Amino acid sequence: MRVYLRYAFKETFSNLWRNRMMTIAAVLTVAVSLSLVGGALLLKQSAAQASASWQRGTQVRVWMSSTATPGEVSSVKTQLAQMPIVKSCYYTTQLQDYNEARSTVPIDEFQALKVADMPTSFRCTPTVPTDALTVISTFLHQPGVLTVTAPVQQIREMSHTIRILQVVFLALAGVLLLSASVLILNTIRMAIFTRRREVSVMKLVGATNWFIRVPYITEGFIQGLLGSGVAMLAVWAFHVWYPLHNEFALDAAKVWGTNIVVLVVGAFIGSVGSAVAIRRFLDV
Amino acid sequence: MIKFENVSKTYKNGTPALTNISLDIEKGEFVFLVGASGSGKTTFLRLLLREELPDQGRILEAGRDIGSLPKWRVPYLRRNIGCVFQDFRLLPNKTVFENVAFALEVIGRPRSTVDNQVPQILDLVGLGTKSDNLPSELSGGEQQRVAVARAFVNRPLILLADEPTGNLDPTNSESIMALLERINRTGTTVVMATHDKALVDRMRRRVIELDRGELIRDQVRGVYGVEEGLAI
Ligand SMILES: Nc1ncnc2c1ncn2[C@@H]1O[C@H](COP(=O)(O)OP(=O)(O)O)[C@@H](O)[C@H]1O
Ligand SMILES: [Mg+2]
Repeated sequence: MRVYLRYAFKETFSNLWRNRMMTIAAVLTVAVSLSLVGGALLLKQSAAQASASWQRGTQVRVWMSSTATPGEVSSVKTQLAQMPIVKSCYYTTQLQDYNEARSTVPIDEFQALKVADMPTSFRCTPTVPTDALTVISTFLHQPGVLTVTAPVQQIREMSHTIRILQVVFLALAGVLLLSASVLILNTIRMAIFTRRREVSVMKLVGATNWFIRVPYITEGFIQGLLGSGVAMLAVWAFHVWYPLHNEFALDAAKVWGTNIVVLVVGAFIGSVGSAVAIRRFLDV
Repeated sequence: MIKFENVSKTYKNGTPALTNISLDIEKGEFVFLVGASGSGKTTFLRLLLREELPDQGRILEAGRDIGSLPKWRVPYLRRNIGCVFQDFRLLPNKTVFENVAFALEVIGRPRSTVDNQVPQILDLVGLGTKSDNLPSELSGGEQQRVAVARAFVNRPLILLADEPTGNLDPTNSESIMALLERINRTGTTVVMATHDKALVDRMRRRVIELDRGELIRDQVRGVYGVEEGLAI
């Protein structure tokens, strides 16, 4: 076993060096393809995260008319509290509304307002933004309710866009991964094809298939690791030099999560690719 | 040592290569396999290496039916068989020493054995001083001697040679033959396919002649071609 480990180690590195043009080709193929895969995964996560944070921020507002009775107000309040689609609500008094209007309404109009004229309101956060529409339809015609408002159009557009974005980025990552696998496999196969003579000599002197296979697999594994190492740097550089903003900004943990995926995929494609590519030449 | 029982082999494309061959080769024998190109000599050797399986009949080596050998045992069978080919089949990017050492590394021999055996066998084939050269730096005759060293370094029971002198001039052919004889004298069974009439005639060893896949002559102290009055 010791003899063999030494042999496999020596063989792996001398092959990597001896076929260095092929090594470079394989490493670059892995690097370029996996950078793209990593980039697509980052964007997908970014879209998912933006949608989540944006969902947290959507509000629907139930305005009570200034003439609403305390009974009507408390009825709306209990109903809101019992709705499972409403995550949280808080009540805005006439005075709070008046103060808010100070900064949102033009100064001359504001001077005409009195605290008693102000409507009170419930600000509610639905569990999912689209639930705002249900809240609107439930309360719009209830007694004492002045109106119910929510950024309906934006809700529709955003949730649609983000769903599409996620699907697009995920599909992109999938397609890139597939083409990366094909490219990498092909590079490895070419590298092994040039050495089929060597393999046939090994078979002739009585080498077992595993004896022949292991150095090639470790070689592919190392190429995969090197390639995905470069891809990881590229993903990191993308994150640092072209950071995404606001809701789209990703934290380092997410980037490293993506990088670990890239690393595992690279090492896996490299070693399994080699094992698959060599199979054909072992069958003598 | 080697026994063919009614062996026939037809390649997938329908070419019949060997037809109903039966013969016995004893341990320690030296056998020439002769016949025109395409008569089935290489196929005969490939069957012994189990690179191909016979369609009919059985082949026994050291008493074991190699057709019933499971696939994973095949490498172990080949460790008992040394091979030499017309085109040498050395690894071009390994030195002479490494090429020979390779045959020992493959079967898991420790470094000390390799360091001990390889120089010894290279001295035997007269290449002790070239152990650090690459095959491309050697003449054809020298390359073939490296191939013989590799085939013999783990002392196989059987040595197969497929036209080993086919690419060599008479002088180099002589030295390869001398080596094969020497190996044969250690008790190794040697089967050599050849076209070289002069060699076969001079050696006076057992000759098996194939013609379009059929065994047409098996002669104890034979010559290359049947001449008038010599046929048995
Ligand atoms: N791999 C192969 N596939 C198909 N036909 C083959 C193959 N190898 C040899 N043959 C055919 O089998 C016959 C015997 O060939 P071979 O054993 O190589 O003869 P020899 O070594 O005496 O020249 C020939 O007709 C040859 O064309
Ligand atoms: Mg031949």
